[in-house]
Amino acid sequence: MNILICIKQVPDMESKFKVNAQGNWYDRADLAWRMNEYDEYAVEQAVRLKEQVGEADLTVLCVGPDQVKETMKKALAMGCDRGVHIADNDSCMREPFAIATMIADFARDKQFDIIFTGMQSQDRGSAQVGVMIAELLNISAVTTIVEFAYDNGTISVKRELEGGSKALVTVTAPVVLTCQLGLNTPRYPTLPNIMKAKKKEMLTIAAATDEQGRQETAAFYFPQRKGGGLVLEGDPPELADKLIQLLKEKTGALA
Amino acid sequence: MEFTREIYWNVGQGFTTLGPMYFLVLVTLSVFVYGFIRRWRVYRLGQPLNRTDHRGARLKSMLSHVLLQTKVLRVQGPGTMHALFFWSFFILFLGTILIVLQADFTDLFFDVVFLKGNFYKFFSLTLDLAGLVALCMVAGLMIRRYLLRPPGLITGRDDLIMHLLLLTILITGFLIEGARMAVTELGTPLAIWSPVGLVVAKALSGLGEEALRTLHVLIWWLHLVLALVFIALIPFTKLRHIFTTSANSFFADRGPTGKLTSINLEDETTEKFGANELDDLRWKDIFDADACTLCKRCQDRCPAYATGKPLSPMQLVTQIGATAFSNPGANLIDVTSRDVLWACTTCRACEDICPASIEHVDKIIAMRRNLVLMEGEFPGEEVMTAMEQTEVNGNPLGMGYASRGDWAESLGVKTLAEDSAVDILYFVGCYASFDKRNIAVARSFIALCQAAGLRVGILGKEEKCCGEPMRKMGNEYLYQTLAMDMIETIKGYGVSQIVTTCPHCFNTLNKDYRDFDFDIKVEHHTVFLDRLIKDGTLRINRDVFSCTYHDSCYLGRHNEIYEAPRNLIQTAGGRLTEMEKNRDQGFCCSAGGGRIMAEENIGERINVKRVQMAGATGAPQLLANCPFCLTMFEDGVKGAEIEESLRPRDIAEVLAERLVVQDTPGS
Repeated sequence: MNILICIKQVPDMESKFKVNAQGNWYDRADLAWRMNEYDEYAVEQAVRLKEQVGEADLTVLCVGPDQVKETMKKALAMGCDRGVHIADNDSCMREPFAIATMIADFARDKQFDIIFTGMQSQDRGSAQVGVMIAELLNISAVTTIVEFAYDNGTISVKRELEGGSKALVTVTAPVVLTCQLGLNTPRYPTLPNIMKAKKKEMLTIAAATDEQGRQETAAFYFPQRKGGGLVLEGDPPELADKLIQLLKEKTGALA
Repeated sequence: MEFTREIYWNVGQGFTTLGPMYFLVLVTLSVFVYGFIRRWRVYRLGQPLNRTDHRGARLKSMLSHVLLQTKVLRVQGPGTMHALFFWSFFILFLGTILIVLQADFTDLFFDVVFLKGNFYKFFSLTLDLAGLVALCMVAGLMIRRYLLRPPGLITGRDDLIMHLLLLTILITGFLIEGARMAVTELGTPLAIWSPVGLVVAKALSGLGEEALRTLHVLIWWLHLVLALVFIALIPFTKLRHIFTTSANSFFADRGPTGKLTSINLEDETTEKFGANELDDLRWKDIFDADACTLCKRCQDRCPAYATGKPLSPMQLVTQIGATAFSNPGANLIDVTSRDVLWACTTCRACEDICPASIEHVDKIIAMRRNLVLMEGEFPGEEVMTAMEQTEVNGNPLGMGYASRGDWAESLGVKTLAEDSAVDILYFVGCYASFDKRNIAVARSFIALCQAAGLRVGILGKEEKCCGEPMRKMGNEYLYQTLAMDMIETIKGYGVSQIVTTCPHCFNTLNKDYRDFDFDIKVEHHTVFLDRLIKDGTLRINRDVFSCTYHDSCYLGRHNEIYEAPRNLIQTAGGRLTEMEKNRDQGFCCSAGGGRIMAEENIGERINVKRVQMAGATGAPQLLANCPFCLTMFEDGVKGAEIEESLRPRDIAEVLAERLVVQDTPGS
């Protein structure tokens, strides 16, 4: 089985974010970087699948500047077999379609059975790259999966729907699956695997950057602080009346 | 009249006595040697470890532990009884040696008799009284074990054999003496030099000489056989502790106290890390199990055991021993169980009190290393998250690394990157950098340093966790990654002294980092401030207050710093009411051993128990020296619902409140 896992390196969300000089994205200085949370579920599910079927080759792919290799190493330590780094210093400003095109161009002749990726990135959050890859490769895509099972060529996944309901989808390879929180708990790499990861193949290929974007981020800014809390004063019956009034006026809690 | 006695009286010194006697002795010694060779083969299953360096010092400490019973005597009651028994039995042993020496050697071959005259009187009295003391102590210890039955004390087959053997050996000894005296000494001036024997002699005297002689010879042989059985059983019962516990004093870890062995991560041929099988442990870890006497002192002091967690340091050592000698192929982690291994706070209460020089913590860490490095296992997801946070942001709290120095903004403290010409580097640590409660401690410490006119630098966003909680949780790889990073950063600035407000940082920089060519002076803030006050650099107003004080494990037992913090409290005007468990008996706050990162979800909460001890002193303040302790106590006073009556504080905060305001010139 031939599996591709597409991951993204994102800033740690606890970082102190600043707007960059162009005013169209965050400034990259003073940020700690890590693997996009949803992509970790993707890596973990791929490794578990390999453990289940025995024979599988896992390629982890990441688009971005040289520093993304650090994050790729973690995927290799978790159990991916090889890494493909599409070198692109401007990846953070590219539209999802451009990223999906790069990945699809790489994947087209590789006969991947399953492509796992996160359902969205924690920073850009467009949730488009996975489905666009499927479209560009003309294969099916199932998004936001929270359960995965593989049995003799049949892939059964549960999708998370609005309001907490779930849908069971069965599909056959090739397929793109985008992973949601709850799918699994990513493993902590063992030391022997960290050591082995250092020796695994890491191929860097140049990004084709001739494509002109169709969309661009016009501005990046922090939301304005809304007003603070409201302190009600008075004796209890009076307070209760005020609270009911407020709940009626401002919320649907009593509707 | 020459004061002496006939040795081999009534039994005779001919071949019919000496022949069978020495044959039995030879058989006994063969069994003894065979027994220990079999055990020695098991010790050798462990990994090599050099514990025979510094032989002079090792011998000295062994003699002190064995002959003076210094460690045994740290617990009064049973310890006192053991020491008195040991000394008296040792005297009886020496007396027996002297008799053998004279009867079967000096007298036999050279006609030299030294057990005579005044020396004989002294010899006789000493042995007689030693016998009495030994008998009383065995009886006392039996009463404790079989009637009083202290909770947690495990009594097995070995204990019954040991106590009955000792009791009968001593009783038969007095019966032999009494029978002999009844026939030969009654009414002579010599008799009063064996007062206990005299009482027995008088009691037996009515039997008549014939019966006494028969009784004497039978009991003489019985006594001999019992003594030889005793010797033969040493390797096969807990009696072995006579040799193994003594030897373990020689093999004891010579420090630095509590320092773990660094794994060589450069060695790419290593495929296994930590221990999950017997032969992953060091030989000393197996030998420790044989040195253990099940005295349960460790268990009595273990904070995990005291709060209903499954860990008992004694049981852990017993389980390793049982695995070694009866099931060496077993998986040690399954045998000891994960909940046991994760429960340890590495507080060292067990190792500190252990009279057998057993190293409990190293074994636990070795198995934790196996779980973390080989299996990626942690006590809970929250610990794995903390590890990942530390990898990404250099702190287990998951705070953005770039804001690490924010607490010091507006305090006039520069980072070394801005200005490395400083008197001290303040290694702030994760909690004092990010945790609001502990930031107050850091600010107090800075105020004190500034009042002393010192230039203090911090690393700011270049500082990362020292790696201590990760290391103690078994993540040696992450620890060494952080350590290498910190060492390179700190050495790059050429600072001459580092001060920490965290005993974990202090211990790690001052002991663990020394493995990696790091030799900069490191001090804990209590020691540093105590010195500043003593040399007059820092002036503190005395303002009387009442408090109790908690010895953190890593300042106390791990570094034996007990006085500096108390000096500071006294200087500040503190009326200190000690908790019952203080200094080397201090009770952990629960956060050591990386447990600061873990949920405590088995048994009672350790921190609540500790603040209740503090509350019992009636003091309104609980002074601490450690950010982990302080965090646990702030949480604990809420859990114990005593936050109105007990206020946890760091000593630095109390001092900072009492700073002498400098006279401004011209005002």
